[in-house]
Amino acid sequence: MAQSTAGIATRSRNPTKLGIVTAISFLIMAALPLVVGSFQVSLLSKLLLFGALAISLDLVWGFTGILSFAHGVFFTLGGYAMAYYLKLNLSAEGNTYGGNLPDFMVWNGLTELPWFIAPLKYFPIAAIAMVLVPAAFAYLIGWFIFRSKVSGVYITIITLAISSALTTFFVSQQAYTGGTNGITDISKLSIVGVDIPLNGLYWMILLFTTFVLVGSWWLTQSNFGLILRSIKENENRISYLGYDVASFKIFIWTLSAGIAGIAGGLFVPLNRFISPVYLAVAFGTQVVIWVAIGGRGTLIGPLIAAILLGQIQNSAERVTQDWQLVVGILLLIVVLFIPDGLVGSVTKLFKKKA
Amino acid sequence: MYAYLFPLYYLAQEAVTEETTEAFSLVAFGNQLVNGIGVVGILLLTGLGLAITFGVMRIINLAHGEFIMLGAYVTFLMQDLFGMDLLLTIPFSFLITGAIGALVELTIIRRLYGRPLETLLATWGLSIVLQGIIKLIFTAQLKYVKSPPYISGNLTLLKDAQGSPAIAISYYRLFIVAVAIALLALTGYLLNKTDLGRQVRAVTQNREMAKCLGVNTSLIDMVTFAYGCGLAGVAGSVISSLKSVSPPMGQDYLVDAWMTVVTGGVDKLVGVLAGAFLIGESSSGIAYLLNDPTARVIVLAAVIILIRYKPEGLFSIQKRG
Repeated sequence: MAQSTAGIATRSRNPTKLGIVTAISFLIMAALPLVVGSFQVSLLSKLLLFGALAISLDLVWGFTGILSFAHGVFFTLGGYAMAYYLKLNLSAEGNTYGGNLPDFMVWNGLTELPWFIAPLKYFPIAAIAMVLVPAAFAYLIGWFIFRSKVSGVYITIITLAISSALTTFFVSQQAYTGGTNGITDISKLSIVGVDIPLNGLYWMILLFTTFVLVGSWWLTQSNFGLILRSIKENENRISYLGYDVASFKIFIWTLSAGIAGIAGGLFVPLNRFISPVYLAVAFGTQVVIWVAIGGRGTLIGPLIAAILLGQIQNSAERVTQDWQLVVGILLLIVVLFIPDGLVGSVTKLFKKKA
Repeated sequence: MYAYLFPLYYLAQEAVTEETTEAFSLVAFGNQLVNGIGVVGILLLTGLGLAITFGVMRIINLAHGEFIMLGAYVTFLMQDLFGMDLLLTIPFSFLITGAIGALVELTIIRRLYGRPLETLLATWGLSIVLQGIIKLIFTAQLKYVKSPPYISGNLTLLKDAQGSPAIAISYYRLFIVAVAIALLALTGYLLNKTDLGRQVRAVTQNREMAKCLGVNTSLIDMVTFAYGCGLAGVAGSVISSLKSVSPPMGQDYLVDAWMTVVTGGVDKLVGVLAGAFLIGESSSGIAYLLNDPTARVIVLAAVIILIRYKPEGLFSIQKRG
């Protein structure tokens, strides 16, 4: 793995060119809602968020070498924060039982709002929780596992176990989480009393994803990014040079979880529900697949892969029920024959010619 | 005297005669622990194949659950087509899943030796593919396998005042434990006492040297991986009648099998037994005191903490750096 991606993610020579390309793509994407229908806008918004999620995984996997199946978990934690906000702000008529107690809590015999959910009624608190809960959870995990001599593969297995444990936990805590169904029947997103229309949400999401992309690019081009990459290449050497490897890992891990959390939070108003499906290992795998296919350590690759695969999946699922089989075959092909992913391979090709 | 030898049994009998009405019933708890033995059997059986592929070969095989699933489908097919007895299908599922394992080693695993993260990804892809293929052939519908009629009923260990069973375990679960322990012994024998096993260990310890001494290392790799997959297939056959058979069934066993192997450590085969016992009994015990999902979360958290402090497992030999 070390030798396969080395050389792709070196410092880019021509930032102005990249900037122009990004700006043009951004403008085209921003103009899209004027052309395509609302279904496509909603789908694209979701895919952009999946793209941001994939970029967040690329930061830890492509650049630092930590393969995580738990990024779906961070995404979903952010999603639940937003879902509570939207659920608690249903108007009394919208709520099946009136009052301000969500329906699933009534079914499970709760008589009042639990203290840790009640504050999420207020948007600023929900917005902060959307970032802080996943980031704090990630910080705890990171602090626990990166300050040890546990090697890469074991960390991946730990992330699998975390995903599995949290899924079980959320399903079992029906009264607080809505169990298997999750949180459904939520209100539309409105901030300080203003309803956000679909196109507005789309532009918000486009801005967010662009910000994540550009921010991640800037971060990985900085000296900080160089250190991350050296950690991936040779962890021992970088620690002999006097760097505290664990702190770097914990930082990028926490940051990445925060990004995933915001993506999850923005996902909920589009998706209209959140459930443990997104906590499960299968969704975490999906994120890993986007990054693997797009190209580790390329940032734009995972974003493109998430959007393309999502579009293909959307059309394919009308024809076939076996989309997962296709995804599995793609993953195998990429791992065995295209270890740099699509974007990585293309970049390499150009570099060879130059 | 009896009470000293089997304190829990003695206490349980006391409890039965006294017919306590407390929330914590020693009899029910005992029953849960005895049932835990059944869980231990399943964990041991499903973890054994991993102890070979991961323990001996250091391959991170996330498709292990799918080999269990394949074994279960072989049994289902044999029963469906030829009306075969479950026990008779076991050799077939060993051979068929073993053959598929050999094929997988040849086409996928072989290219990825020494790259654990890539192996992990590839086997995860393989697991999705195998599930997809089985779903294409057999549809996603649940299938049911008949357990052998002569292994039915329960063994009563303790009767209550009315003479009805208070603590009992089904013969089939005992059968699973017996199969698991027999396979463990067989594998131990093959690995430690036969020429083939000596070659396998030689390849694990020093591949280059083994090659120099004339061991066909790539053949050994293939045979070892195939054997591990075959064991998973046997596990699938034996447990197929416990629940339904379906394409995603392997996923449930994958996490448990990994926990077992990681907890016990893989330096010695006995580690799997220890891991299975610890996880099986503690989850049964906690499940009784609290509830099933909580038990699972607690056990998973405990395993995570264990990996953090002792990634080589609880029962491994201390190695020098």
